[in-house]
Amino acid sequence: MSAIAATPRVAEVRRLVTFAVPLVIVAGLLVVMYAFAPNFFRVNNLINILVQTSALGIMAIGMTFVMVGGGIDLSIPANMAFSAVIGALVMREAGVAPGILTMLLTGGLIGLFNGVAAAIFKMTPFVVTLATMTVVGGATVWITNSQSIADFPESFFDLMLARPGGVPLAILILLAVALAASIATTSTIFGRQLYAIGLNARAARVARVPVERVLLITYVVSGLLAGLAAAMLTARLGSASANLGNDGVVLDIVSACVVGGVSIYGGSGRPIGAVLGALFIILISNSLNQLGVSYFMNLVIKGVAIIGFIYLDRLTAGPGR
Amino acid sequence: MSTLVGQARRHGFLVVLVLIFAFFSLVTPHFASGANLVAMLHTMAPVVLMSAGMALVVLAGKLDISIGSIAFLSSTFTVLLMNDLGVHPVIAFAAALVAGALLGALNGFIVVVLGINPLIATLGTMIAFRGVALQLTGAILIPLPESVRALGNLSIGPVFVDILIVALLVLVIDQVHRRTVFGRQVNAIGNGEEVAERIGIPVRKRLFLAFVLSGLLASIGGLIALVQVGSISAYLGRGMEFTAVAVVVVGGISLFGGRGNILPGVVLGALTFEMIENGLNQMSANPYAYRLVTGAIIFVAMYVDALKSGRLQSVRRVALGSS
Amino acid sequence: MSAILELRGISKRFAGVAALTDAGMTVEAGGAHALMGANGAGKSTLMNVLGGVVPKDEGLILIDGRPVEITGPRDARRHGIAFVHQELNMLPSMTVAENVLIDELPTSGGLVNRKAMRTLVAPILERLGCTFGPDEVVETLGMGDRQMVEVARALAGKPRIVIFDEPTSSLSDREKRRLFDVIGRLKADGTAIIYITHFMDEIFEVCERVTVMRNGQRVGSGPIRDYRPADIVALMLGDVHEQDRLRAPQVVNTSPMLEVEGLHNGALADVGLTLRPGEIVGLWGLLGSGRTEILRALVGLDPIDRGTIRFGADGRLLPVTPRELHAEVGFVTEDRRGEGLLLPLSVASNISFGNLDRLLGRLGLIDRKREQAFAQGFADRLRIKLASIRQPVRTLSGGNQQKVVFARWLGTQPKLFLLDEPTRGLDVGAKTEILRLTVELAEAGAAVLLVASELEELMRVCDRYLIVQRGRITGELPGTADKDMLLQAVSEARPVERQAA
Repeated sequence: MSAIAATPRVAEVRRLVTFAVPLVIVAGLLVVMYAFAPNFFRVNNLINILVQTSALGIMAIGMTFVMVGGGIDLSIPANMAFSAVIGALVMREAGVAPGILTMLLTGGLIGLFNGVAAAIFKMTPFVVTLATMTVVGGATVWITNSQSIADFPESFFDLMLARPGGVPLAILILLAVALAASIATTSTIFGRQLYAIGLNARAARVARVPVERVLLITYVVSGLLAGLAAAMLTARLGSASANLGNDGVVLDIVSACVVGGVSIYGGSGRPIGAVLGALFIILISNSLNQLGVSYFMNLVIKGVAIIGFIYLDRLTAGPGR
Repeated sequence: MSTLVGQARRHGFLVVLVLIFAFFSLVTPHFASGANLVAMLHTMAPVVLMSAGMALVVLAGKLDISIGSIAFLSSTFTVLLMNDLGVHPVIAFAAALVAGALLGALNGFIVVVLGINPLIATLGTMIAFRGVALQLTGAILIPLPESVRALGNLSIGPVFVDILIVALLVLVIDQVHRRTVFGRQVNAIGNGEEVAERIGIPVRKRLFLAFVLSGLLASIGGLIALVQVGSISAYLGRGMEFTAVAVVVVGGISLFGGRGNILPGVVLGALTFEMIENGLNQMSANPYAYRLVTGAIIFVAMYVDALKSGRLQSVRRVALGSS
Repeated sequence: MSAILELRGISKRFAGVAALTDAGMTVEAGGAHALMGANGAGKSTLMNVLGGVVPKDEGLILIDGRPVEITGPRDARRHGIAFVHQELNMLPSMTVAENVLIDELPTSGGLVNRKAMRTLVAPILERLGCTFGPDEVVETLGMGDRQMVEVARALAGKPRIVIFDEPTSSLSDREKRRLFDVIGRLKADGTAIIYITHFMDEIFEVCERVTVMRNGQRVGSGPIRDYRPADIVALMLGDVHEQDRLRAPQVVNTSPMLEVEGLHNGALADVGLTLRPGEIVGLWGLLGSGRTEILRALVGLDPIDRGTIRFGADGRLLPVTPRELHAEVGFVTEDRRGEGLLLPLSVASNISFGNLDRLLGRLGLIDRKREQAFAQGFADRLRIKLASIRQPVRTLSGGNQQKVVFARWLGTQPKLFLLDEPTRGLDVGAKTEILRLTVELAEAGAAVLLVASELEELMRVCDRYLIVQRGRITGELPGTADKDMLLQAVSEARPVERQAA
């Protein structure tokens, strides 16, 4: 009870720190970029960064739903690659619309599978999605024989790479998804129930929240968004392959969420934060790349960053959690 | 000295193993030959060792998914020390072991001292360690010196030396788990960390050491794989964390901690996957089918594990006044 | 018999609040000493001081007449003090011997010496009259046997003083009988026992002396033969100052709204009750009697094995599952901070939660303005003191937090309220406000089932009382019953039933 008075300030400090640290890092980086690689600031490069952020951001939004509920979905990249490959095969046979629909549907079904296992059968989310990742990843490699699938109808690229008003469609999709996710989390009953479960599943149950159903939905959403990311990446890269879902992507997604203030313990974080986190990750990769830091050191920096941010999250987490 | 549950688990599992063996023996001509059996043991040696390390951490109720990267990074040190600095192979190998233990200690530090969820902590170090190793090797294939490469096929009679080394080490680890204060207390922590804390077990110390040992065993496993392959490449240890989790679960060690034994669990688990891979190879099946089958097996094993622990958890306190 | 342990003038304050004030007890070798007290009386704190878990501010601990300092749990063990905790600290997948010795495993040559383990543990098990051996795996044992393992662990250090904290709460009668035999044997060996329980009948069977605590002080102590059960209950609860009733007892004869029959689960046996619209029924029993469990089982938060629940807001009763009933009732949990509220969220979110379906605006989205107005409406109506409807609910005082819980349920307009310790931890003014609110609910036609530890609170509002003992409803008293009748009702020391088989 004595902690009551201190709590608001702790929460404020926490919010400040979790926002300020990534901002300071980005600001420092931009200064360095300005001095050493002024090309970075060319409009084309900046737009390119946003386009690169789009798929990662959308997957991070999916992860946000799962993580707010206290779970984790490691199968997102594998799911994305699998959906891309299945959808690509369908697209070559049946056309663009069935192809894209297949991607969404495949992603959603795999998410449903995860959700049933984690929410209904109460298997550990980390392990369930790890297994899904292995199975789905294996299936993707098998189906494609480790080859890329290309040769899509031109109309696919015309659609996905369109630039209405000069803005690439990918960025618009990201904004639309971020907006929808923000509304879903803050202004729907589902969203309120989700945060309640993540904060305190027991209290949620007492308050009549259908815990299993809500958690199930989070995995389906995460799967659907993986399918959407599949369509976007396939169009951008011009091909679908198992490599879309390599190990590094999982880490990028988790990092984006954690940097964006989504707690791995559930109950806090916003989709928009995850998108900013994704932007942060891409900015760092992109700028380090331009500074001549190797991709491998990039990995090291990301690995350290994720641990650092989780530590920060833990340090600043208020009492009573 | 085993419970009914454990026995049922082991027997049910042995049936599957025998079925797999029988199946491949029937459909392929060379599967059941002595030479192929030795070859399988040879191939699975590093997996067994790394899974044994993982098993220690899993028995404590945690996971260490950085072991593949630890194997890669510590082997990288060995190769660079030998190739670039001309260090004697024995010292270079010793350096790898020290590196493995230190990297494991770093994991332990992050988990125990910084208090970070072990999954996220080792996910981070997994990527970071691999990044360092790739940076050092430039992600290219570096062959071992001729003299060291010869070790890979060193054998006593028909049995490869690395099989013997691994057999010996796994025996030791199994005894560490079964017969030392450390091993028993790790097992106790896996039974319930809070309970262990209340009883007075030094939980933090034990967890830290479990991560150190996991790192050490990962580095030895990495060295064995390195010598077998004869060169270091970006693929060394990749995906090993998932294989090890799979081996551990299929070997009957619960991911919820505190249940199962390293022997024979880890060996049987590794053998399951090795037989499937080897058999599918001999059938000239699509090599990628292996990953799919593996994943399916992991899933089933995990589901069984969850069911079992669910049932155990549902044993509730009995009646107050059951008159 | 001589005093082996004396706690003298122990005081302890937590953050300025006195938990113990000049508390103490004297324990003799070869005897069992009951330590009684209501929830929050200071029993646990006193035992934690003795166990080295909590440092004392003032006072003396004397063992064999010599003052000692106990600096930690290990230190307590060295002084021969051992605990048998209410919650069993078991390692299910490991053997009995490992469970007993896990923190001090005997080794030889660096390896655990299983033979030595057996020779250490087997005699203890024999002494306890256990039928299982040291090599059995704990998860294959029943609850009573596990309790014995817990006792064995306490005895492994050859203690001179053993503290049993609620040892029987999960035992069957037969297992309880065995435990009492063990305690008898320990006493015969000269071990001193401190026995903590909520079950009045047990102390008369097991103990020679009793100390009663209330508000961190010793309020009574002496040979147990000098006390009647009702005396002890009266000491535990203190003077029940009968305060003015907030509403005269009503005799309600409307047709029932809720009928429960034959409810059974792990903690309850054959619970049946009837509730009518407009009445407040008190579930009166001591802590641990099963009163909370009845409420939780009704709404499905604890599983039920069998039993029927029939419910109907309009006079026609239909069978419902606990889950369905949950959707119809307002349930106030005893654990306000752990289960009742979403502490980091705003007051508005907490009040509107559960009522969101009626606060949707265009497009089916939650209308923030309506949400805030809705919450503000209840905040005003219940006079919740707050700076802003948007402040986190954890920053409110306990009484105001509880009002937020009520506000949430009021919004759903339930016809039935289950209130579990709604006044816990509140100051006198807030208590009265919550009770007044409870009366208002009944006046408005709702049925209320109320659990409270403090009798004087029940006596201010209840229209009748159901007596709860050992997971059963053992009697009923009218709202006009006085405190002596109510105290008598829960302190009837029924002897433990001997089981034939």
